[in-house]
This record gives sequence, C-alpha cells and structure tokens, in this order.
Amino acid sequence: MSEARAAILARLREAQRTARLPGERPDTPRSLEFASRSPEECLERFQKELAALGVETYLEASAADVRNRVMTLVAGRRLLSWDPELLPYQLASMLTSFILGRNTREEQAAAEIGLTGCDAAIAETGSLVLLSGKGKSRGVSLLPATHIAVVRRGDLYFSMGEFFRKSAERLAESAGCTIITGPSRTADIELSLTLGVHGPGRVVVVIGP
Amino acid sequence: MMSPFQERVRVALGDRNLHVALDRATAQLGGRQSMALSTLENSDLVRDVARRAKMEILRDLGGNLKRFEGQLLANGAQVHWAEDGRQANRIILEIAKRRGLKRVVKGKSMATEETHLNAALAKAGLEVVETDLGEYIVQLAESRPSHIILPIAHMTREDVGRLMEQRIGVPYSDDPRTLAGYAREKLRDAFLRADLGITGANFGVVQTGTICLVTNEGNGRMVTTLPKVHVVVMGIEKLVPTMADLDLFLKILARSATGQKLTAYTTLIRGPKKPDEESGPEELHVVLLDNGRSRILAGETAEILGCIRCGACLNVCPIYKNVGGHAYGDTYPGPIGAIVTPGLRGLRDWKELPGASTLCGACREVCPVRLDIPRMLLSLRKECVEQLPNPLGLRIGMKVYGMVASRPALYRRLAKLARWFLRALAEEGWVKKKVPGLAAGWMRVRDLKAPAAMTFQELWRARKGGG
Repeated sequence: MSEARAAILARLREAQRTARLPGERPDTPRSLEFASRSPEECLERFQKELAALGVETYLEASAADVRNRVMTLVAGRRLLSWDPELLPYQLASMLTSFILGRNTREEQAAAEIGLTGCDAAIAETGSLVLLSGKGKSRGVSLLPATHIAVVRRGDLYFSMGEFFRKSAERLAESAGCTIITGPSRTADIELSLTLGVHGPGRVVVVIGP
Repeated sequence: MMSPFQERVRVALGDRNLHVALDRATAQLGGRQSMALSTLENSDLVRDVARRAKMEILRDLGGNLKRFEGQLLANGAQVHWAEDGRQANRIILEIAKRRGLKRVVKGKSMATEETHLNAALAKAGLEVVETDLGEYIVQLAESRPSHIILPIAHMTREDVGRLMEQRIGVPYSDDPRTLAGYAREKLRDAFLRADLGITGANFGVVQTGTICLVTNEGNGRMVTTLPKVHVVVMGIEKLVPTMADLDLFLKILARSATGQKLTAYTTLIRGPKKPDEESGPEELHVVLLDNGRSRILAGETAEILGCIRCGACLNVCPIYKNVGGHAYGDTYPGPIGAIVTPGLRGLRDWKELPGASTLCGACREVCPVRLDIPRMLLSLRKECVEQLPNPLGLRIGMKVYGMVASRPALYRRLAKLARWFLRALAEEGWVKKKVPGLAAGWMRVRDLKAPAAMTFQELWRARKGGG
C-alpha cells in the first residue's frame, strides 16, 4: 500500500504546479472569532432553539427538582442509562432498575428510554454534546425511542466554535464525540418530515442549576 | 443516431412521473436553502473564510494529507491509500477477510458509489445493507442515487410505496411516515447483527485527525457505533485545516444542503474505542481515495475539489430540474457532476456534460464556498474543442461561420436568407422539421424557435423612422 501512497503523493506534487486555484477576496481573514455570550443569554437562546427543534425542555431550580423530574419521566419504563455515578445531581441515589452499556445489545435495544448526562451544550444551535468514555455507552442516546439528557447550566457554551476552542483537550481524549441537535429525522421521501427514524424520535432535556 | 447521453436526456424529458418528483423535491429544497444561508450571521464573510480554508488545503494537498495521516496514526487509526476504486475495494475486502467479517452496514457515501463497492462486496459473498433511508430505497430498486443529498429525488411517494410492497412484502402505503417505519424495522435488525460498518466522511480535520460525519436519521451513528470494525472511505480532497474551520463548514453545509442550522447528528471520530469503553469500533480504518482527484488538481478545474457536496447547485439548476440526476450518467449529477465526472472519468467519454448547462450562473450564486462553476464549464468546453477530435463537418462549419461572421455585409445577407428559410419551415413558432446540410446534426436533438419576422436592426430603423 505504501506504493499507492508514494504514487498519489508524487502525482499531487506534480499537479500542484499547474493547479488553477483562484485566490480569495484580498481582505479575507484566516479565521473568524467564535461567538460568545453571557450565561443568561446562553440559557435563553438554548431554550428557544430546543423549542424550535421540538425538544421537550424542563428548567429546574434545584438538584432535588431535577431528580424528581427525571423520576417522573422514567417511571415504569425500561431504562438504559449511563453509569449512574456519571450522571449529575446525584441521580444515582434514585435510580433502581436499569440496563447499562455492558448489557447485551439486544437488551439495550429493547429499552424504552435512554438517560444520559451531557458533557457540554451549545446554545446557538440547541445542541447536546456527548463525549464517549467508560460508563458512557454511545448506544444510550441512540437505541431507545426516547432520549433524556440532563444538562448542567454551567456546561452551556454559546457557539460550537467556542466549545471546540475551550474543550480541545477533552475532545482529544475521547474516541468519539456526538453532537445531537434535535430528534432523529428524515425527509428522504418527497421532503416530507418524519421523526425518529433510527435514533430517538423524542428528545427531552432537563436543565439543572 | 443519439449518443447515450442524448438518449438518457430524451428518456428523462419524456418521463412525467420524474417531473412530478423533481418538482416536489427541488422547489422546496431550493427555497429553504437560500433562506437558511441568508440567516447565517456574516454569511458572506463565513463563505469567504470557508473558501479560503479549502483553497489553502488544495494548494498543499500532499503535505496536508501527510499531516492528516500522522494525526490519524497517532489517534490509533489505520490508514490506507487507494489510487483507484479497485484498490479501495480490495483494501476493504482484505480487512473483512482478515477479521472474518460478513455483515456490512453502510452509511451514505458518494465515494463508495464511485468505486462500486457494494457490487464488489456482494461478489465476495458479503451481505451489504445501505442504511440511509434514501440509499436503502435505491438499493431495493437496484438503481443509483439521483441527487447528492436526496438520493431518491427522482421517485414519488407512490413509487416508494409500490417498490417496498414488491421487494420487502409490506402493505402498500403512500404515507412517508409509514414507509420510513417499514425501513426502520428492517434496518434495525441489520444494525444489531452487523460486524462491519462502512461510511464516507464529510470532513477530515488535518490539525487533529478527526473524521466528521453528519446524518439526520442517526444511521451514521449506528454504523459507527455497533459494528466492531469501522472503515471510512474518503476522497483525498475532503480535508479542512482546523476544528475552528470545521465549525464554519458544519454551519454552511447544513444550511446549504437541507436548510437546517445544524444536521441532527454530528459525529466526530478520533480513533477506535478506548480499551475501557463499552461501545464503539475496536478498529478504525481510513481509506484515502484518489480515483482521479490528483488529475483534476493538475488542471483548470482544480477549484472543484473544494466542493463540500451540499447539493445546492442541483436544486437551482434549470437543466437538473428538467432531466434529474440519472441523465448525467455517473455518480455525481448536476452542475457539480458536469465538472467532476469528466475530471474523474476522462473528458473524452463525458464531453457532453460541460455542454449540459445554460451558464446562467445560479449554481455559482448558491455555492457556499463560491466555486466558479460556469468558468470551469467553459474551460472544459474549450478543452473539448482544442484537444478532442471534432467531426470534419463541424470543423468546416466553424471555419465557414468564422469567415461569414467577420464580413458584416455578407453576414446580414446570409442571415436574412436563413431567416426566410427557417420561417418557411416553422410550424406554430417552432422549427422541428429536419433541416438539410450541416445543421441537421444540431437539429436532431434540439427544437429551434422560429426567427422573428424582423431583425433588431430592421425594427430599430422602422421605429426610428416612425417616431
């Protein structure tokens, strides 16, 4: 295969000499400053974007309120969860019956609700950022028809650019990063919108203090 | 005799059902995109910066690929280089053989359409399932995608309903939700059983060795999460310099492709799963595919390698809107295909494609990275004339025309004669009859509007005289 590598690189070197690549407008900057806002503005924008995406959102004032909200949402349903220790607001103390990423694929796929924390959230687009890692199985936010994400207000960034810049190290440590912006959707058939194709059709965000 | 291209166009123009489907798709999508791009703050500047980033990558593509490769290796991925589609397919088959992988799920990928990977895998006895809804339907129909982001832009909901009824034995429906539900059931099973996931890449970030994939359905996440081996097939031009650039590209791609602010799922992959992780692929392979791209880079159309495959130019193209994607005959349709296909496959066999444009410039207007598509189409036409053999009749005809056109008095007299002659042939304002002589070839696949009764100059003189 190194033969193919050498051949391609040699061709590119040669091509570079005759390539016609028109320049850009003379005063085009190399990059743009990422957008940033105050925490209050972030929260307001985040809620607005989530609503526009059709995401159910609950804003809770205390850790106890978050726990109650989550318990109400998951009551009586088959639950697939991140390792409870990794969930914020001591949710671990309340959860009794659940399946984990260690269980078989079939068991995970049969769950009705997936419960995760959230490593960061992006206000500008209403996005949830989940970094992969031990105890944070990637299927939790993917296999069940409903995904509940618990977001700490302090983890909000205004823009994706801001998140990429400020969290470069965390991003480097994770093999996979999933940025979720609303429910799973398709418009492949005549651009008619259908929710919940392969991923969750229902996304619920519980925002805590 | 019609050429294969002319024949495909003739069939497309006569297909009423195709026009219903294309109208429903392109009208909506085109409107949404142009609105979405304008809602982006500083959209003009963002497009300029994105374009600059792409051109910088292309000015040192070899160096950037080496840096990207270095990062991928450091992240624990395995890197393969493929000069053409056959090499790429062989690499993937070897990976599958070594690990005994049999059941393949695929994410949407234009690169593997280019290499005809599905046929190669099936021939080797592997089971392959396309998992993007549109691509799944294309696979059921044993057809090929007709739009870069909307693979079944050529099908109506009724077409899809009948196809599913026939091929997977479900009750007929023309309700898109019901149809998507059928596909979900079938594909869920395939995801859970799969041992090899194959995807393309929307972007590769040089700085970090990150592979970026965007999907709306979540199939891309399934394919990169459940199977134990993940293979990424990416064209060597898909690089962006930094994560900050990626941020800009994600914004303009979603807006230009579907009119969303951001695609539902953005997946950033930076290596195989860590040893302590419960999920994710054990092995990550990246196949860097040339397949003619280095040849494109060497020439007048090098700029086209900055294309991010959003499909916006298709939805605004008057030609695409009338003939659909299949008429273009290869993987990439529309204005972008008219440049990429001759580049990848050779101008000789695809010389009609650069001609399949009115040069109206709508594609250049909507292109999020401001590719000058009309300029490239013109330079390909020039190349056709200068470098490919042209029929003797055409050469003589052009010579004669040049002689006449540079002698105004002669030109006027002959034009008058031609006008009189064509008007005599016309019926209901159109010349559709056979015209004798050199023009016969041109007229075979075209209708000509009958010339006006008076020329502009005659009209001018008449008005001036009267007023």
